[in-house]
Amino acid sequence: MFTSGRLRAVAGLAVAALVAVVAVSSGSSATNQSPTIRIWVDNVQKPAIEQITSAWASSKNATVDVVVKDFGKIRDDLKTVQVENAPDVIVGPHDWVGELAANGLVLPLFPRAAVRALFPTYALDAFSYGTAVKRLYGTPFALENIGLVVNTKLARVPTSFADFERQALAFKKKAKGNIALAVPQGAGGDAYHMYPFFSGLGGYVFGRNKAGNYDVSDIGLANPVFLKNAPMIDQWNKAGLINSKIDYGTGKDAFLKGKAAFWLTGPWETKTLKESGLKFTIVQMPKIKFNAVPFLGVQGYMVTKYATDHGVESLAKDLVGSYIPSTDVQRTLAGANGRYPANVQAGKQVRDPVLLQFGKAGVGGVPMPNIPQMASVWSELGGAWVKATRGSGAIPARVAFRTAARNIANKIG
Amino acid sequence: MAPGAPATPLPLGLLPRLLAAFSGTTGLVIKLVFLSLANAMAVWAATVLVRDSRWIALSVLVAATLAIDSVYLSRRAVPLKFLVPGSVFLIAFSVVPVAYNVNVAFTNWSTGHLLAKEEAIEGIERSYLAPPADGRSYLMAPARDGRGQLVLILVDEADGSTFVGSRVGLEPLRRDAVEIDENGAIVGTEGYQLLEADELASLDTDLSAYTVPTKDGAAIRPEGFETAVELRPTLRYEADTDTFVRIEDGTVFRDNGKGSFVAASGEELEPGWKTRVGVENFTRLLKDPLVRKPFFRVFVWTFVFAGATVVASFALGLFLAIALNLPGLRFQRTYRSLLIVPYAVPAFLSLLVWRGLLNDEFGLVNRLLPFDVPWLFDPAWARVSVILVSLWLTFPYFFLVSLGALQSIPSELVEAARVDGAGPWQVFRRITFPLLLVAVAPLLIASFAFNFNNFNNIYLLTAGGPQASDQIVAGSTDILISYTWKLAFEAGKGQDYGLASAVSIVIFLIIASISALSFWRSRSLEEMR
Repeated sequence: MFTSGRLRAVAGLAVAALVAVVAVSSGSSATNQSPTIRIWVDNVQKPAIEQITSAWASSKNATVDVVVKDFGKIRDDLKTVQVENAPDVIVGPHDWVGELAANGLVLPLFPRAAVRALFPTYALDAFSYGTAVKRLYGTPFALENIGLVVNTKLARVPTSFADFERQALAFKKKAKGNIALAVPQGAGGDAYHMYPFFSGLGGYVFGRNKAGNYDVSDIGLANPVFLKNAPMIDQWNKAGLINSKIDYGTGKDAFLKGKAAFWLTGPWETKTLKESGLKFTIVQMPKIKFNAVPFLGVQGYMVTKYATDHGVESLAKDLVGSYIPSTDVQRTLAGANGRYPANVQAGKQVRDPVLLQFGKAGVGGVPMPNIPQMASVWSELGGAWVKATRGSGAIPARVAFRTAARNIANKIG
Repeated sequence: MAPGAPATPLPLGLLPRLLAAFSGTTGLVIKLVFLSLANAMAVWAATVLVRDSRWIALSVLVAATLAIDSVYLSRRAVPLKFLVPGSVFLIAFSVVPVAYNVNVAFTNWSTGHLLAKEEAIEGIERSYLAPPADGRSYLMAPARDGRGQLVLILVDEADGSTFVGSRVGLEPLRRDAVEIDENGAIVGTEGYQLLEADELASLDTDLSAYTVPTKDGAAIRPEGFETAVELRPTLRYEADTDTFVRIEDGTVFRDNGKGSFVAASGEELEPGWKTRVGVENFTRLLKDPLVRKPFFRVFVWTFVFAGATVVASFALGLFLAIALNLPGLRFQRTYRSLLIVPYAVPAFLSLLVWRGLLNDEFGLVNRLLPFDVPWLFDPAWARVSVILVSLWLTFPYFFLVSLGALQSIPSELVEAARVDGAGPWQVFRRITFPLLLVAVAPLLIASFAFNFNNFNNIYLLTAGGPQASDQIVAGSTDILISYTWKLAFEAGKGQDYGLASAVSIVIFLIIASISALSFWRSRSLEEMR
């Protein structure tokens, strides 16, 4: 039996030993010779980025550290991350760009004209942001937009909006439980999926100033042209063409069960559509008063300000600005997400019929505005649609959209 | 004790025996393991703090670790040995977050105000660049000249003319001196040594900051390893006056004291920086119509929501508890278990399921009813729905609590009242209920405070909607906390942590005073006993 004094000495020694072990092990994280570039991606992009960076990294004598994050966390964590854990390159959609740039977290890129020419103008525009001088903040690699999916067993591809309206309403009347158009809204609204109707009636979110930047004082939710056309929304509501009580789940369910002949959705449902066994064609919503174009979403890679802190700025810019734009890389990256590649040459190589149809459905589309003020827009624009299309309790569309426009102006302040 | 055996109260001798066990060698080993782990963590934390030169935090850490070690290694200070873990957790999980929250409430931390001022200035200098009107872009290859200096071999993208760029300026190079391969990359130069991959990597920082001055303040800057672009800054930072000047028209951007460089016209440079703004966030609560206008309505509804939820859940829970406490009821245990189900299912899941069930047109509830109720789309009905779903989620709790409390009321009291001629209602009103309330009142207050801040219920069921037609930000079912969330994350430019912290402090003050008042009142209940 130890005496208690000796016990305590042993105790002290044991504690000191463990402390020493930890101290040594924490100090011995060897400094790497070759520079490391850390990339934050979601699990969908991980295999693709690992594949394309392996050849690149060995030619640059660099190491690539791919860190998988939940998609939304990439943006959120970038705001709070410690410098030593921060990424040098991130993947993200173009509508993050305004917020990230306003926060000073991403670096502007200035690619050569030859590189710019690889992309459609709107894809680069989607990744550009600036209150006075516009700068490019990322290299796009994938495009997405919604389209009108037509179940060709239940309806013909509409030749005009009137034709669409007629077919949809006739289908609705055919059986109880049928819905005219599966476009998701629900109590919270969905401005993104409703955008073809909004643009088709002459609506826009923000106007542009002379320099081509978004002008947040010009809110297009209550522009005279749109307001003039807005009573059409009341008619659609009365006839039951659009019903805000349909949310994503109910709409998708109805289409897959043959209780809706039309579905407004995007390429993220490609797999579901192919596996459903339904016969379908995807087109752009027919022209209403104007072309009923969807919002365009662009995904891309960005260089963060931490690349400078880590001393790998040129390396990161080489990856994002020179290597990722190339055709083969674009095909791999976009393919991983099942999206249309942003690179025009890679786009021409797409053979998947569903993807091609979605691509055509996006022609003339408008990139979602990427300015941080969009935070004030989504719920209001979606809410206006909900209020105007909730069946018998609906309020006139003019009132709903005027209110929404006023609210947005107030929220932006 | 065999598993499954009925629980018996601790035998009287057990506590001293337990203590004795932990004072022996086993106890010492356990203690040492925990203490060593704590110390190891402290050492790891210390290395981080040393690296970041945070000396105050380091001294606090060292003092705290030494204090903890000495408490547990000494034989005295027995009470402290029990108090320390609790105190550490209290500080870590309550005091620090609250202090942090208060600290944030006095800053402008929000979208566009994330970095420190120096970083923001650097960010502005780095991003306010634009190609000049006749700006050119080049194929580039970093190289070393005869004296070993870093230079850039440049090939004009437009006309193929070749140059060598140094920190001094641009000099033309013979075209045939530069060798370009079929992929358009520069692979060789006469008189210059192109840099290899590993050397490039070590020169990354130099290369990123390299500029080849051209004319009018413009310069050719590398973009990666293969491209260089001629860019001109559009702004100039003047350190002595701490202002930015726009080169084109001389507009001056001054530090506005709120974390931004702003011109007289109101134009603002991005990014701004995070700084202290005093009580700005609190005055905004009073002045901003966006906040002020709906505040009272939301405030009242929050009370109604929390109050109605607690009262209704308690009433229902108590009723069921009394009903299922009747002696001789068959399947008593089955009923009791079934009633706990809503409590056992994760609230997130229940809320999402309810949202589906209550869907106006496709939900099960309306399909079963002979008429349609606009559960989630009508402001008044949405409020009813929110309360009903909260009731569903909360009553099992009060059922359990009431059942326990009922069983702890001595049956002699009830029997005595019966003998004295009291009817069942009188027994309940005068004996059972007051005694029950003594036990349950603090829980009622706690439940009220919880529902006052029940963000999940509101957000997942209605997201605060439907939008009230008179409202700006707040929907018909928004309670203070979900309204705060909308103010902080769905208005202006997105995130406004400073404002959100200020509102949450106000909410905290409201709840704290209600709770204090209620606890003070409920003390009178205890006196009845």
